[in-house]
Amino acid sequence: MRIALSALFIAAVFTTVTVVNARYSETLDPFLYDYMTENFEEDTAAHNAIAAILLNYRMYDTMFEALILLTAIIGMNQFLPSPVELKELSARKQVAVGDKVGKE
Amino acid sequence: MSSESSITRVIVGLLYPFILLLGFYVIINGHYTPGGGFQGGSILASLFIARYVVFPVEDIDSEMLHLSQRFVLALLLLAPTVLLFTGAVHAYPEYRASYLTLMDIFIGVQVGYGLGVAVLRFAFFRGVGESWRF
Repeated sequence: MRIALSALFIAAVFTTVTVVNARYSETLDPFLYDYMTENFEEDTAAHNAIAAILLNYRMYDTMFEALILLTAIIGMNQFLPSPVELKELSARKQVAVGDKVGKE
Repeated sequence: MSSESSITRVIVGLLYPFILLLGFYVIINGHYTPGGGFQGGSILASLFIARYVVFPVEDIDSEMLHLSQRFVLALLLLAPTVLLFTGAVHAYPEYRASYLTLMDIFIGVQVGYGLGVAVLRFAFFRGVGESWRF
């Protein structure tokens, strides 16, 4: 029941966002685009506009992008067994198979 | 995963320095050529993958790797807060390129360590068997 409700909720949110996004279209003034493509070399000393935007104009974006990897690894630490437990598991498996037991 | 083939062992051993060189080339030239921290870091992480493929022994301490990754991430969050947002980089224009290189190196090392930790954890988890704990 809870799973069905959450699936319904997610589907409703998905359709709402898609419909709203399709009904309204917005074109931005290309002010920032013009400014960045013309002035990035004087502003940041990068010869590459992507590096200029990534490391100077939009540094906040890059900082939080780097945090995503940490979040992923925290999730892995939460759900995967730790290296110590892994060692115990493999030792138990070796005992079950009948290999050498005395390996630490 | 067979680790017995000496051909793959020798070839990957020969490729090691070139992978390192390519990774640091992509990282350090990030603000002149296409590439940068994230791409170069992924190349550095392929070093861990190549090592796992030829020699699947868990002697890299993934906890230590994760600790150094978090340390570099703290540096990565601290450096622009001190250097960029206070306007120090724009006050001294001759150091702007060094700032970009520093940030690229931080991002590259952080991404390389992080992807290495992820790959090693999943690889050695898969090697144990079916037991899963939630």
